[in-house]
Amino acid sequence: MSAPEIPNLKSIFANRRGAPSRGRGRGRAHAGASSERAEEVRDTAVRSTDQDAAGSRVSCVELGYLDDPYAQLFATQASTRRLPLLNRGTYVRTSAIDLLVDRFLQTTPDAPKQIVSLGAGTDTRYFRLKDHYPNINLRYHEIDFATNTAAKLARVNTNKQLYTRAYPDSPPDVFKLDTRPTTHYSSSYNLHALDLRSLATASDDAPPPTLPNLDPSIPTLILSEMCLTYLQATTVSSILHTFLDTYIPAPTPISLVLYEPILPNDAFGRTMISNLASRNIHLPTLTAYPELEDQRQRLKGYGFIHGFKAADTRLIWREWVTGEEKERVAGLEMLDEMEELDLLLKHYCVAWGWRDGGDGVFTRAWAAVLEQEGA
Amino acid sequence: MSIGGSDLDKAIGQLRACRPIPENQVRELCYKARELLIEEGNVVGVDAPVTICGDIHGQFHDLMELFRVGGDVPDTNYLFMGDFVDRGFYSLESFLLLLCLKVRYPDRITLIRGNHESRQITTVYGFYDECLRKYGSANVWRYCCEVFDYLALGALVTGATTSLSPTDGPLADNTNIDSLPDSDADIEIETLNANGEIMYRYARNSDSQSSAASQANSNPASSSPVAPTPTRTGPAGTGASGSANGSKGNDTGAILCVHGGLSPLIDTIDKIRLLDRKQEVPHEGAMCDLLWSDPDEIDGWGLSPRGAGFLFGADIVKCFNHRNDLSLIARAHQLVMEGFKEMFDSTIVTVWSAPNYCYRCGNVAAILELGEDGSNAGFVRRSNGDQGGGNGGWVLGSNVGNGNNGGQGGNGNRRLSSVLGDSMRPREGPGRRYRVFEAAPQDSRGMPAKKPVADYFL
Repeated sequence: MSAPEIPNLKSIFANRRGAPSRGRGRGRAHAGASSERAEEVRDTAVRSTDQDAAGSRVSCVELGYLDDPYAQLFATQASTRRLPLLNRGTYVRTSAIDLLVDRFLQTTPDAPKQIVSLGAGTDTRYFRLKDHYPNINLRYHEIDFATNTAAKLARVNTNKQLYTRAYPDSPPDVFKLDTRPTTHYSSSYNLHALDLRSLATASDDAPPPTLPNLDPSIPTLILSEMCLTYLQATTVSSILHTFLDTYIPAPTPISLVLYEPILPNDAFGRTMISNLASRNIHLPTLTAYPELEDQRQRLKGYGFIHGFKAADTRLIWREWVTGEEKERVAGLEMLDEMEELDLLLKHYCVAWGWRDGGDGVFTRAWAAVLEQEGA
Repeated sequence: MSIGGSDLDKAIGQLRACRPIPENQVRELCYKARELLIEEGNVVGVDAPVTICGDIHGQFHDLMELFRVGGDVPDTNYLFMGDFVDRGFYSLESFLLLLCLKVRYPDRITLIRGNHESRQITTVYGFYDECLRKYGSANVWRYCCEVFDYLALGALVTGATTSLSPTDGPLADNTNIDSLPDSDADIEIETLNANGEIMYRYARNSDSQSSAASQANSNPASSSPVAPTPTRTGPAGTGASGSANGSKGNDTGAILCVHGGLSPLIDTIDKIRLLDRKQEVPHEGAMCDLLWSDPDEIDGWGLSPRGAGFLFGADIVKCFNHRNDLSLIARAHQLVMEGFKEMFDSTIVTVWSAPNYCYRCGNVAAILELGEDGSNAGFVRRSNGDQGGGNGGWVLGSNVGNGNNGGQGGNGNRRLSSVLGDSMRPREGPGRRYRVFEAAPQDSRGMPAKKPVADYFL
């Protein structure tokens, strides 16, 4: 599960106004100082939602929904118990992505594999996988803004549990560490401090930034939990083409797993959009890909031609979670929000697509994963 | 100090402005309320006319909108079916206001218990935390919980009319006047929007009904307005004599109001009366079921996904209603996007009164008005013949060709009724006027309003 980091609003708003990235012009500057101030306010609002998500994860762990000894280490606010409805939703989302990742890692388990987590934020997946698959040959990459990677590394470097897992090769000389590092490279865990949108502007003249240790020749799973959804659809498309064509060119198998909201046009969806807008949060891909079928076609359009599937989290709860596990989870808390839970779960989906020649690792890994019929 | 008379009116004024009253007044109020409620039976008798409301959930501003739409207390006689607290930001103000009104106008407002009126649930879903935040201690929460234990478990509405006197209101924007039944028709259901404009209306014993009919046909999956299945099996027998239902013309059975639904341990209303209700809501048993159960498209009884109470099917409702001479069960407990939802041949209805529930769901809310028997005095059931050829009454199966009405609703139910035969024919349902309303703008009445922030997965 990730507390999906919301990209830095400064960049998002700069982008919305037409400026391609941070640090360059701010687009239409007519609002001047007051717009800077407004952005700071939005920044703060969004950062608080990030810690909110980290808190949701802690709530799930404390109540027994999830087993994640690392969640607490990254949450900065005192834990508050979340509503059963939200705990259930967090559980479904996390276990859905766990399932896809596990099937991938368990297929030809000795072969090297790679995972790239976009906007990973305070996600603990790497550390959990490291415990679960101690001998696996896995390169894990996280990409996020420097402020976020710096915060994460500050935590990693001061906690022994995290530290020993993040430095698998040879522990560094602590005295040589940057006082405030933003990047981290090792044979298994890598943190790249960069603005995702810089991958979208790549061209022949301006190649995309180098991602150290990213291996172009080993099967790669890209993970976006509520990350790409904050970007314009065209930007997302460009970013993925950079991955599919430049970073991980064919025939290396590559896949994408998305977790995003859907169904913007019904009463719940309209309310979601307006509620989030009042918090200055906008989800361009929600309106660009309103239904499950749009999500599938979108994956295909990116070049994930050997599989493009999607299911809403309501179906995932019903069909992916085993009966025994459902019983365990249902027993954790009395849940009085059945209709609301249904609504909420219907409005989020997992979409997964791959390119592997049609008989590669992803085709085999996900052959039995049930998708949803229809739109 | 004592909270009576003018003090009470002062408290009502303060609460109407969404300002909490001091702790000592709450204690006094709760004491008075308990004295009053202890005199009520487990099933309170209520005379029509009455306006029946579903879950409120601390959405104070929407409760004010409800009063605006439905009329104020004591002008309107209200029955609230529980779940006053939790989830919304103003559980305290909402519940205390309702309680003040109960103490002030005991015969004009009835409060029954919902599953959230419980110590255990309120510690999870917000009311406990809200009390702690607003008073700095759990005392007020404790006083309120003591009142919860005394709330009745149900209400029995009698004296409701089978036929509404049509509202003399303008039509809502999308309503086609041609789709409304004749002005002299016997109105079974009418739905009005928050401005009192007629959204649709349809007559009993008529298959040429309002826009609700086409709406239901075009979208069979939509919950309500339900396919306008008349509750009667066939007027061929009943209607023909012109007075087969009795000379009064108003013979609707009573309406049972309960928060959740039925219990496998309860087959008669008298069994509800025998329960010892003055306790925390138990985890199982009849009292728990009444507050937790849900109707569902199943046969018989089923396990509830909520972990308490049961699911019950149409057969259970029809048998219960027949045995207890009920024409309708009104309940709340489940969010319905359209505010109300009739099920099982209109033998049970869910009423939901919290618009945009949790500031997130985007639903509308509804209240249900039942008119008074006698408001239509002298009414005599019209026979088919009286209505004349083209405008004929409902005949068994007569609207089968009227599109494929979703397959399940109408046809299946009608079959069921004919299978059950005359002895099981449901009582004539009461005339039902639904007023549908949306969430109130939070800052509209000069009341303090915290900007609602709904959680999403971000």
